[in-house]
Amino acid sequence: MEKQDSNGKFIVPIGPQHPALKEPGHFEFAVEGEIVTGAAVRLGYVHRGIEKGAEARNWTQNIYLLERVCGICSHIHATAYTLGVEKLANVVAPPRAQAIRTLVAELERIHSHLLWLGVAAHEGGFDTLFMFSWRDRETVMDLLEMITGNRVHYSTNILGGVKIDLDDEKITAIRKGLDFLEERTHHYLKVINTDETFLGRTRDVGTMSRQQAEELGAVGPTARASGVPRDLRVEAPYAGYHEFPVRLITATEGDLHARFVVRMNECLDCYRVIREILDRLPGGELATRVPRRIPEGETISRVEAPRGELVYFIKSTGGDKPDRIKVRTPSLCNWGTVTSVAVGHKLADMPMLLAGIDPCFSCNDRMVRVNRPDQSQTWSWENLRQYGIEYYR
Amino acid sequence: MDTEAALQTVEQLLKEYATEVKQPEQNRLDFSISVENLLEAIKTLKANQWGYLSFITGLDHPAPLTAEGEAPTEGNLEVLYHFAQGAAVATLRISLPYSKAEVPSVCGLIPSASLYERELMEMFGVNVVGTPDPRRLLLPDDWPEGVYPLRKSYQMVGGAAEPPVET
Repeated sequence: MEKQDSNGKFIVPIGPQHPALKEPGHFEFAVEGEIVTGAAVRLGYVHRGIEKGAEARNWTQNIYLLERVCGICSHIHATAYTLGVEKLANVVAPPRAQAIRTLVAELERIHSHLLWLGVAAHEGGFDTLFMFSWRDRETVMDLLEMITGNRVHYSTNILGGVKIDLDDEKITAIRKGLDFLEERTHHYLKVINTDETFLGRTRDVGTMSRQQAEELGAVGPTARASGVPRDLRVEAPYAGYHEFPVRLITATEGDLHARFVVRMNECLDCYRVIREILDRLPGGELATRVPRRIPEGETISRVEAPRGELVYFIKSTGGDKPDRIKVRTPSLCNWGTVTSVAVGHKLADMPMLLAGIDPCFSCNDRMVRVNRPDQSQTWSWENLRQYGIEYYR
Repeated sequence: MDTEAALQTVEQLLKEYATEVKQPEQNRLDFSISVENLLEAIKTLKANQWGYLSFITGLDHPAPLTAEGEAPTEGNLEVLYHFAQGAAVATLRISLPYSKAEVPSVCGLIPSASLYERELMEMFGVNVVGTPDPRRLLLPDDWPEGVYPLRKSYQMVGGAAEPPVET
């Protein structure tokens, strides 16, 4: 991403509070009249120092820490981490565990895509669609809560497997939920493909060619909407994706509309994969033993999060704690596309364009820092915990 | 392209730049290269359309404690450029002494590397020469100069990170 020259231009700062989204990030758009001529980004407002924190925690504690990198795609972070640690420990989780990991990952993808549909529709001034899609999203949230006991941080993974199981009652409930969601997704596809107002806000807006997407390093649905056939579930299957393959879904237009279509079609494929998993759920154990100390080595664990390629680099020196964990989240890759594609568009299109990549700020920012008017200080975990307890007393 | 073929291709492409080639895992190859060869190696990958820059990792290897009387050795930093093609991952490993922690920017070849380079600069104190936007990306504006949180010398207190006391 080149820093654009903004000499003598009028600069519109957006954020850090509520830059079209309910998460903090700061953007500077240089404009000439209505037209954007340059863009820059500043992140870090929700940086929590998780990579450093992971070095002070043991292998098991880190599952729960890393799951909190993101509140939308929590399960996929834990999955990437546990798969990596299992690789280092030379352990393979049993087939039933892998299938359940995949099932939860796909349910999470549905919830993430529906959440995004609502946010993007809201940014486009289409609040009816926002409310409908979020109402329907409750269905998948309820399913996740029923299976895992949690709505956000599912804590499904443990090192060597999973800690939840499915029974007939749960399977029936999942099938029922999927039927409802499938019908609704077909309805949404019809809306985004036929509604004039909606098409006016999305068609030919923020268009990114395949070449641009590849050069800018786009990942996930953002890249696939520009025709880049990149999906790790297909290219490098992990967990249960060998057994339950997914379809690669792409579009060629590369505009905002294509990003809607790709994500909705991915939801439809999620329903199909989940039904297949439920049809052929392998029996057997849920977990296998993993040693407390992980053998020395480095590994790279790549998975397909709802927003694209998520990478974990894990280094062990043979102890009970990792030496280094590097997290590269998909949103970081996709920022580059926004700042480049923004140039030449109207300022009014920026909220939609920002929402279009489905950015996740928590994912980029990983330190607790509290600014008060009288003093600015870094808080230790202990202080923060105490503050939290006092606050809610 | 299947993973093995992809790894063979990349080995042919990068062999001449590498001082050492290792295969840490079935789908990965590690090429240790000197910092002078970095841009040439990436140019070669790009010209042959092998993969894309997936991410950049920094690693800190502080100097081991030495016994009394021995001359202390210098610690070093490592910068890892990971390129991915399908399931295959090729890593360019560059080792840098603390005293000359400098790499050239790869943004001229790969514009999307800008954010990764900014992260590397503030977290590890690696000077990325010629990066288009050297401003901070993640750390707060009032973060002290010369304090790099992901170096091992940066101590953790009570489970959370504390910057060292300024003197």
